Amino acid sequence: MRKNWPAFVLGGMLAALAVFFALGLWANPRPADLPSGDSLQPPGAGHLLGTDNLGVDIYAQLSGGFFSSMALGLVCAAGAFVLGTAAGMAAALAPGGAAAAVDLVIHLFLAMPQLPVLVVLGAFFGQSRAVLALIITLFSWAPIAKQVRAAAAAVRGRMYVRLAARYGGGLWYILRAHILPEVLGLAAVNGLGVCGRAILQESSLAYLGLGDPLARSWGLMISKASRFSGIYFTDYWLWWLLPPVLALLCTLLCVRLLARWLERRLPGRATGGKQDGAA
Amino acid sequence: MKYRKRLLSVLLALALLAGCAAPASQTGSLLPGQVQTLRLAGGTDWGAPNPFLHQSRGPGQARMRLVYGSLLEKDETGDVGWLAESWRQSGSEYTFTLREGAKFQDGTPLTTADVAFTIDYYRAHPPVSASLGAGDAFLVESYAVQDERTITITAARTDADTLSALGSFVILPRHIWEQVDDPYTYTGEGYLVGSGAYACTGYDAATGSYEFTAQNDFCAGTPAAQRVLFVPVSDPLLSFERGEIDITDMPADLAGRYRDDPSIGLVEKSDDMGTKLLVNFEKCPQLLDKSLREALYWALDRQAVVDKVFRGAGSVGSAGYVPPSSPYYAPGCVQYPYRPGKAKALLEPLGLELTMLCADSGDDLAIAELLANDLRAAGVAVTVQAYDSATRDQMVNAGDYELALVSNGGWGNNPPDYLRTVFSDTAKNKGGNPHNMGPIGYENAAITALADAQKAEPDPDRRKELLAELQVEISREIPLVVVATRSSYSMYRKDVYDGWMKTYAYQQAEQNRLSYMLR
Repeated sequence: MRKNWPAFVLGGMLAALAVFFALGLWANPRPADLPSGDSLQPPGAGHLLGTDNLGVDIYAQLSGGFFSSMALGLVCAAGAFVLGTAAGMAAALAPGGAAAAVDLVIHLFLAMPQLPVLVVLGAFFGQSRAVLALIITLFSWAPIAKQVRAAAAAVRGRMYVRLAARYGGGLWYILRAHILPEVLGLAAVNGLGVCGRAILQESSLAYLGLGDPLARSWGLMISKASRFSGIYFTDYWLWWLLPPVLALLCTLLCVRLLARWLERRLPGRATGGKQDGAA
Repeated sequence: MKYRKRLLSVLLALALLAGCAAPASQTGSLLPGQVQTLRLAGGTDWGAPNPFLHQSRGPGQARMRLVYGSLLEKDETGDVGWLAESWRQSGSEYTFTLREGAKFQDGTPLTTADVAFTIDYYRAHPPVSASLGAGDAFLVESYAVQDERTITITAARTDADTLSALGSFVILPRHIWEQVDDPYTYTGEGYLVGSGAYACTGYDAATGSYEFTAQNDFCAGTPAAQRVLFVPVSDPLLSFERGEIDITDMPADLAGRYRDDPSIGLVEKSDDMGTKLLVNFEKCPQLLDKSLREALYWALDRQAVVDKVFRGAGSVGSAGYVPPSSPYYAPGCVQYPYRPGKAKALLEPLGLELTMLCADSGDDLAIAELLANDLRAAGVAVTVQAYDSATRDQMVNAGDYELALVSNGGWGNNPPDYLRTVFSDTAKNKGGNPHNMGPIGYENAAITALADAQKAEPDPDRRKELLAELQVEISREIPLVVVATRSSYSMYRKDVYDGWMKTYAYQQAEQNRLSYMLR
């Protein structure tokens, strides 16, 4: 219990953020997509965090942004987890030629600069969240696959696994009984890391104007506020620009620290060392 | 020997560095009022500054016109000579006499042969800003070269704007373009050689940077800056505050901060940036029913656009198109206040589903969001499609939209001849420029007759009456929905440069050629 306090603190912070934003969405009478007040009203009664230039409630927008960002992050994480695990296993266990081919694909994706390619793909296919999730997933599975491949290959080489194979254990049995239990935790933790990166990438693309321009996302809020002419010479940035930046920062920090802590807790990794391979 | 060479190169490098570090004012002698470098916000690619490659919007045209000269120019009160020192009109014949010493930037003298060549070349290859018109509407019937400096141009029609139109086409160097068959793709030798007061000495499309260098032997005046730079900036206002650029727009929210500052000069652009909602009636034939177009007006809270997007600096658009602050505004136009209930009663039963094209930058998106909300509240299912403004312009020019939100400058132009280019069935939708795109799939004989008649009317008072009648007719028939017009100020530091001006016809100081001349 004492050893697990970081997880409780980080998990608690994430839960607190989720509750805060759930209240913003369901207990707040102001809609996230329609103006409900005057332009750029400061925080106060009626609008807890004020309004943006069009008079849309900031709290409601932030809350909508949290759940849409989290949903996107989790979908991407799940996709990258499944793809990465499958590809990593294939690269480790498939017969020679096939393994080399999968390995090549993994390294191809690892070598590709992510943001420029995301920008180009976003420009071509953008504006739909499903496409965005797909693109981010496609660029997130390779680091997981690389780690899974290394772990699976290591487990496969162990004496007791080789012995099990000698005693007639089939590939499926070895996979289920020996390799998957060792590898899934690693992949899941790296998947959680993808969640944080996906939120950041979505925000970056939205900031660059490559997402749905009318969606409510933190990146878009930051983009609109920072492009408001003269915002830094007014007080507007305090309630229009700062909250989405802080929300993004807090959420990302919690998710990343949680992922990192979990990774250190993985069997055989308690010593720490260079763990952030998926970065 | 080797050592000496190395020492020499070090000394040379030091000398170069010292040259770079020297303050701008110390390099070369400047006349009173002249500045070494004027810096403006760049960052957008407005095309290569030549007549065939620039973007059709104002900033693209302005960059091109710095490089290329025309026969006449406009100042605060009227047309003035530019490459032509004098001109006279006799019926439909306009005779221009070129200035002595007029030449192109490669040193070749500019003669009437170049003017004649340009007319023929534009007839075959209309430039982006085709002031002479194109096809059957080409303005020049014939020309006669009198001598190297005198040419008589016979206009196909004579009206109040013919002289301005003949005076504003930019002149091409014959010796370069006579060998070019396809000017729309030509980027070979001399493709940026003009006869203007500035030569384009640097252009980078990727960063939207431009460098213009003064031609100090320019025949029609003295350039006010040795160099004019358009530099990419991330936030124009912060850059202005830091002195990285010399002129920018003043945000309405900060009027108090700058208006009382004696070191800041302002050029007002009254209701000059307008936003309209175009309807492609070929794709939405239901809206040919006039009562539904009235319902569109009633559905829209256009005051909210002025208050929220323009930050209170502007006016709800007059349904007659010409903005209320214009001397040509017709007060008799039909008014369409915000009546959401009435709009909903008319629109909701139809179950309309429409897409609204807009630009993904500037205020367009915010306006689109407000209008889409209003239309949805009235029962119209609206999907907003946002593209970068160049793509949006292309789609508008191609008629590839159902509803399109278009913003452009120049609504404060005088006289408002844009009423003809937008609404007359004989002049509208010629492509090339989204400003001139009117309603597609909609014709109106009464509007066309008035729009064409005002153009042909030589008496200014009568022309004003016709323009007023035309506005009332437009407000009644609603060929398109006028959303709002924005007023703004260009602000500049007086101690850096104080020559920014607006012409009688055009209010954008940064885009007027005379803003860059010593006067």
